[in-house]
Order: sequence, then structure tokens, then C-alpha cells
Amino acid sequence: MSEENETPLLGAFGEPSKPLHYLGPMQQIQPPRRRFKETETVDYVIVGVGSAGGVLLQRLARAGFSVIGFDAGPFWDTERDWVSDEAGSHKLYWNDLRITGGQHPLALGENNSGRGVGGGSVHWAAFTPRFHPSDFEVYTRDGVGADWPLDYQDIEPYYELLEQEIPVAGPAYYPWGKPHGYPYAPHPMGGVGDVLIKGCTRLGIGVSAGGPVAILSASRGNRPHCIYRGFCIQACKVGAKASTLITHVPDALEHGAEIRDNSMVSRVSMRPDGRADGVFYFDQQGKEHFQRARAVIVSGYAIETPRLLLNSACPGHEHGLANSSGLLGKFLMAQAGNVILGRFDDLIRLYKAPPAHALTEEFYETDPKRDFARGFAIQTVGPLPIAFARQMMTAKGLWGWGMRRTMMDYNHYASIALLGEILPWEDNTVTLADGHEGRPEARDRFGLPVASVTFNLHDNDKKMIEFGKNKVMEVMWAAGATEVVQESRYAHLVGGARMSRTPDSGVVDKFGRSWDVPNLFVMDGSVMPTQGSANPGLTIQALAARTADYLISHGDAIFTSSRRDLEEPPCRKTLSPPGTFTAGVPHLR
Amino acid sequence: MATKPDAPPPQMPTDPATGRPLPPREQPGYYPGFSTLEQQNYWDAATRKLVLDRVARTLPIRFFTPEEVRTLAAVVNRILPQEDRAPARRIDILGVIDNRLFENRIDGYRYIDMPPDQEAYRIGIRAFEQMARTLFQRSFHELAIIDQERLIESIHDAKPMAAQEDWSKLNIERFWGLLVSDCCGAYYAHPWAWDEIGFGGPAYPRGYMRLEDGEAEPWEVEESRYGWNAPSDTLSDDERLHGSGQQHQTHHGTGGTH
Ligand SMILES: Cc1cc2nc3c(=O)[nH]c(=O)nc-3n(C[C@H](O)[C@H](O)[C@H](O)COP(=O)(O)OP(=O)(O)OC[C@H]3O[C@@H](n4cnc5c(N)ncnc54)[C@H](O)[C@@H]3O)c2cc1C
Ligand code: SF4
Repeated sequence: MSEENETPLLGAFGEPSKPLHYLGPMQQIQPPRRRFKETETVDYVIVGVGSAGGVLLQRLARAGFSVIGFDAGPFWDTERDWVSDEAGSHKLYWNDLRITGGQHPLALGENNSGRGVGGGSVHWAAFTPRFHPSDFEVYTRDGVGADWPLDYQDIEPYYELLEQEIPVAGPAYYPWGKPHGYPYAPHPMGGVGDVLIKGCTRLGIGVSAGGPVAILSASRGNRPHCIYRGFCIQACKVGAKASTLITHVPDALEHGAEIRDNSMVSRVSMRPDGRADGVFYFDQQGKEHFQRARAVIVSGYAIETPRLLLNSACPGHEHGLANSSGLLGKFLMAQAGNVILGRFDDLIRLYKAPPAHALTEEFYETDPKRDFARGFAIQTVGPLPIAFARQMMTAKGLWGWGMRRTMMDYNHYASIALLGEILPWEDNTVTLADGHEGRPEARDRFGLPVASVTFNLHDNDKKMIEFGKNKVMEVMWAAGATEVVQESRYAHLVGGARMSRTPDSGVVDKFGRSWDVPNLFVMDGSVMPTQGSANPGLTIQALAARTADYLISHGDAIFTSSRRDLEEPPCRKTLSPPGTFTAGVPHLR
Repeated sequence: MATKPDAPPPQMPTDPATGRPLPPREQPGYYPGFSTLEQQNYWDAATRKLVLDRVARTLPIRFFTPEEVRTLAAVVNRILPQEDRAPARRIDILGVIDNRLFENRIDGYRYIDMPPDQEAYRIGIRAFEQMARTLFQRSFHELAIIDQERLIESIHDAKPMAAQEDWSKLNIERFWGLLVSDCCGAYYAHPWAWDEIGFGGPAYPRGYMRLEDGEAEPWEVEESRYGWNAPSDTLSDDERLHGSGQQHQTHHGTGGTH
């Protein structure tokens, strides 16, 4: 280290000082350990401790069930494992092979899903808008897509709960969907947010500044507030941005849950009587194990969930588990996420402040004046240099000196993005790359066929993207940009194991219980019938909390009975992690 | 790599006022004296170690053959030219790509119309070499820079000037995306590149306090621009691409955002 390096008053920031497991700088826990034997039958096995899995694990443990959360990736120590560095954060993503095709193939990897405890909530930007009431009845209203087997009222109490638990910062009055307010103060603006606000305001478009985003605007308990460093999608070392790793998993462990990390579940095991009895999994050394359980919940993300169920085909379930409808892996959705980049004469320095800090939902609903159903949102994004260079490669076709020159102007650009609702289509699918029936063949290191994803845009989607992208560009020009370019992309995979009112129209019921196997549940983004133009994370966590209430209400009957009760459970407000739920939501009644 | 006697003369950016070549700089870009590395004591320990290792390391070539290295090095030098950087301050790109392919680290997916990354690079390098041999009867790395750029541009445009058969083994536009993404991923991961573009670098635990109006933190540097022209005969400068630079239809973004 050279002598002239600047040094903080108390010397360089050092290594973590305690032999504890760090979940942010202030929250430290005993290193997690193994609790259950494989020969023991636990109540629940959850496959995947991500956005949904983390919440389920916490709820079920708090309610007294024995539960193991499996994750294919590591149990992160945020101080030792995470870095404030773009290239160094590659390990946060699901980097194992998947095949992608169709007319509009989706980029996967860092564009989509996480691996490791916390799952996608580790690298999400943490935008947390709710879905609108209209999202739950798209088919009834517009004759496209599908209706959900539940209504906005069913999920609303869980939105309120989760918005406090994680918690969400945003305005006291949020005007779109069903108007509501947020418990934590909106964040101060950064350069990119200022551009969105200015552009929208000049065009008379309403805009929400400083949220809704699951980032702390004030410290709470053992979590410090945001330091505006802009590395949210590289995982927040600060612990200001919510991830289930830091919001729900510690409380789950406190209440007896086990996390079995670096353990890749390969198959759900079935008994001859048609009930699941546990899961097979591979440990880090590639050795196969079996864990017994009374019920299994699959929360592996919209790609790995269908893959696991397809890979679990067995006598009586030849086309995959819970697939009597033939719809497993179908109706996969992604949102349109075009990024619009505008150059300004003045400096922006877009790397400061959270990428997620302002948005508008003014175009969210179907507008009869437009030639397509449903709509889109406009949101801030904040690409760091590598991501920005790659965007410029596509948006401007740059390479060579042109790339070097534009990159020298990195600090002059602002970036805002479309988030548009692509409808569910049956030909957008996850299948197995097993080499059968003309499918490609590729296997992972355990010999399991990998997922093969097919994606095609349909007419309504193309019209929405064209209109939406032009609207975002208009906002960018209105803000004073001197050059505006754009890159097409897609974000947020959901669907693939949709919930439905009837067994022939989906894979699971409205609580995530599979139509075919009474003690097998799916609970993650894959259950969504439609996706709105809201980022899915909050809704995924809210649905998970609701399903937990359902499971708790039914107690041991889940393990023994096949009776399907579709009554809404009572919303339990006593199961939140300590000190997170109060009466403090600004209610607008 | 040592400059061989038959290597083409370097192509230098020029001073717009005089038209003369600009001498290589320790640090190109508009933030004179800005050094993210000087802030390293404000970084957390894990990040400091990672970034310092990145600067200090010399990556051995283990995946590519010496012949492949010659070709790919010439390609990479055009995709992110560094003649404006003092030789001791050039950023290793080839070693990073080799390291990734040697360890077979992928990005989590493969397009159905693409071979695996390792194979795609081998095919692409062979095809570049084949184009040079067919059209110029020489190796790619021996060509004049303008000729190298012509061939590269034809791949950027997905209209290869030769070696059609080699190029037919993969989707050219996706190969281009892979190659340029890898080059950018190596170059803009380096603190010297952060200094060049005025990016603040790692920022935990200190964070930022001046969020608006492009204000510099007390430890950042104000922008101070100077004019430079890309080498006069280059095909890769921004201005030339402009207009024609609209997005390739089949290209779409691969990075995560929101
Ligand atoms: C860059 C980026 C930014 C994003 N920003 C936002 C945002 O601002 N707002 C928002 O709402 N959403 C955002 N998202 C999307 C969000 O992260 C996901 O929608 C969400 O995390 C999905 O939740 P999930 O529970 O379905 O799956 P995940 O959270 O992905 O969890 C799945 C977990 O299951 C594990 N797993 C899978 N298969 C197996 C198996 N067989 N065995 C063991 N473990 C397994 C995985 O390792 C993973 O940890 C973003 C995504 C990306 C990529
Ligand atoms: S900007 Fe805030 S929330 Fe995002 S990584 Fe930094 S401290 Fe965490």
C-alpha cells in the first residue's frame, strides 16, 4: 500500500473482528449449524431460500414446525463473502447452465436469478410497488391473460405486513392502484431520479420520488440506513436493502429452523399412495442424500421450480410431478425492461444513490386510447461501468475508440427503464434439456437435465413495448437529454407453475397447494398467473406469508389429509420478526 | 506481449488542434489525478483484497494456444484499443478471458443456436484467422490495423467478408456480444478504467453524500475535458457509427437492472 493513500481517522477499515457470521455490519449470529438428521422426518422441507422461501421458513419455524430450508448456493456472510465490486459479484447469480431459445430468447444468469440464501432478494434493486387490483382480474377486464384465483383484498393485508417487516420506504400517499402510504420516509434524490422527475413533470406525468423501495431511509434495530453507494444489485453489504437473508432468515434460525446450504435438491420423492415423503439432494461434494419430510414446498424460482418438478417424474407422474394439467412449465412470463440512456451536458454521476429510487405508474392500466391491453411503468436504473458498457454495445453498436469515448462520458448519462407487462402465453415455456422429442440435451454436474427456456413476444407485447419505449424516450428528451438511445431487454421471470381455480387450468391452487399431490406446494414467482407492471418481489413475499398462514391454520392436517379447504386464513400479525410490525403504516381509509 | 518487427505501426489518437498524435497518458479521461486506489483504506477488507489482487495479478494463459493468443490479442486490441495508455498502464483483457474459459465459468446460460463459450471462442478465432488468410494471405495479427478493423467491423455487422463456413457454425451477432461483453467486463473492472471514466469505485462503508447535480465527493475530482480525435482512419469511433448505430434487432441486453 502506498504511503500517500488517504486513511480514515482510526486507520483503514479492517477485517470483521468477531468469529461470528455477519448479516450486515451490525447483525451478527452464531455460525449456522446442522440441526436435523436425515433419518428424522421434519414437518416441512422448503426447496430454495429466496424471496418466497425465506419468508415461509421464518413463519413456519415461528409457528413451531420443524423445517429445513435447502439452498443450492451458500449461506452468505455479508462481510466476508460480498464485495463492493461489480465483477466480483458474479457469484450471486445462478450461473449454472440453462438453455435459452425462442424468437426472443431471454438472457438468464445475472439478468434473472440468484443462488444462495436470500435468492433473488440478495441482488434485487428492491423496487417494491404493489400489484394493482386490476392485476387480479386481467381476463375479466380485458379478455386477455388470466384471472387470479384470489383478489386484491386477499393479499392486501399481507402487503401491509411485509411493507413493515422489510420495510418499504416511499411517499405517505402513493396514488396508483389502491392508494396507500409507506412506513419509512422516501429517500433523497440522486441524479437519475432527478432526470425522471424533471422529464415526467415537464410532460405532466405524475411521479413517485424516493420509493417505494425496500431500502432503509432510517436505521432500524441492527440494520443501518442506506449510504447511497449504488451497489444494490451487487448485494447490499450495508444491510440497508432488504433481503430475506437479513430480514427473515435470522428469526427463522432463532426459532429452530435449519438452513442446509450448498445442497442442490434433485428430485421430490413420492410414496406409492400419492403423497410426497421428502427430497433427494446433492451436497457440495456431489454425494446424494435423502431427507424425509411430511410436506414439501418448492420455492426455487420460475425456472428451477418447473425444472425440479419435471425432473421428479415417476410412475403415476410420468410427465412431471403436479403436471396432470399439462401446464407445468407453461405460461412463463418476463417483463419488458428496455433501458433508455440519455446523455446530458451536465454531469449526472449515475452510480450514486440506489438504482431504484423513483418511478411512475401513470401508464399501468389498460387505456382504450392505446392499441394494446394492459400497460407499463417507468423506473430509474443505475448501471455500473461494466453493465453500462454492455448496454452501449447494444444501444449504440459501440466498440473500439467509440466505446472508449462514450465510456469517458459515463458520468454524463442517465438511465431510466421501461417495466412493461408481457402477457402469459402457453408457448413461453420451461422444459427439460433432456434430448427427448426434439429438445436439446444438456446436463449439470450432477447429471440432471438443465432447464431449457423458450420465449416469444406476441402482438400485444410488441405494441406495448413500442409504445412504452417511446414514452420513456420522450421523458428522457423532456428532461433535457441531448442524445437518447435504448437497449431492449427483459426482466423478472415468473409463471411456469400457475395458480388456478380449477385443476385443469393450472398447477397449484390459490395457496400454492398442487392440484395433484396434497402435501406438495409451490410458492414463489412461478405461481403467478399474470404479472402486472410491478416488480414481483414484494408480491412474492406477500403470497408466501399468506400461504404460511394457511399452512399454520391447517396444522397437521396438511400432512395427513387430502381435503382441500379454500377459505382465506386469518392474517396473523404476531408472526413478524421482532420489532418490525407496529401500527405505524399510514393508513388511508 | 512484445511488439514483433512485423507488427503494424500503432495507431494513435490525435490532438484536434494540431492534428498530431497525442502522447500516451498514464491516465486518459477527464478526471486528472483521480485515483480510486488511493481511497483503498476506506474500502472494506474483502473488497480491498479483491481489487488489489486484480491490479497485481498476471494471469497465465492456460486455455488458448499461442496461435490463438496472437489472433485474439489483435482482435481484443481493436475492440478496446489502448494505444493512448502508457504501456505500463494497459489493462489485461486477454488474460481475463482466458482465465474464464479455462475455468469454464459461464454466465448461467447458452443460446440454443450457440455452441458452449469455450467452443465459440475457438470457432471465432479460427474464423478471424481464416478471413485474413483468404483476403490478405497473411495472419490476422500481421494485417494493417485498418484491415483488421474492416474484418472486425464485418463481424460487428454480422456480414463476414470471408470464411463464411467457419462463421456459419455459430450465431455471429451473439458471438459478437459475447466477445465485446467479455472485453468490457475485463477493462471496466479495473480501477485504472474507473479513474479514466470518473467512477467512484468501491464505496462501502463510507458511502456517498453528494447525490445530485453530478457533484463530486470531497475525494472525487471535477471533470476537466480535453479534445481528442480517434486515429483518423479508424472504423470504430463513435461519430462514424452514429446514425448507423441503431440497435441490432437480435441483440438485447443481458445485464440485470431492476
Ligand atoms: C438484477 C435484478 C434486479 C431485480 N430487481 C428487482 C426489484 O427491484 N424488485 C423486485 O421486486 N424484483 C426484482 N428482481 C426480481 C426478484 O429478484 C425475483 O423476482 C425474486 O427474487 C424471485 O423470488 P423467488 O422466491 O421466486 O426465487 P428466488 O428469490 O430466486 O429464490 C430461489 C432460490 O432457490 C434456490 N434453488 C433453486 N433451485 C434449487 C434446488 N433445486 N435446490 C436447492 N435450492 C434451489 C436458489 O439458489 C435461490 O436461492 C430483480 C432481479 C434481478 C436479477
Ligand atoms: S445504495 Fe443503499 S441499499 Fe443500495 S447497496 Fe448501497 S447502501 Fe445498500
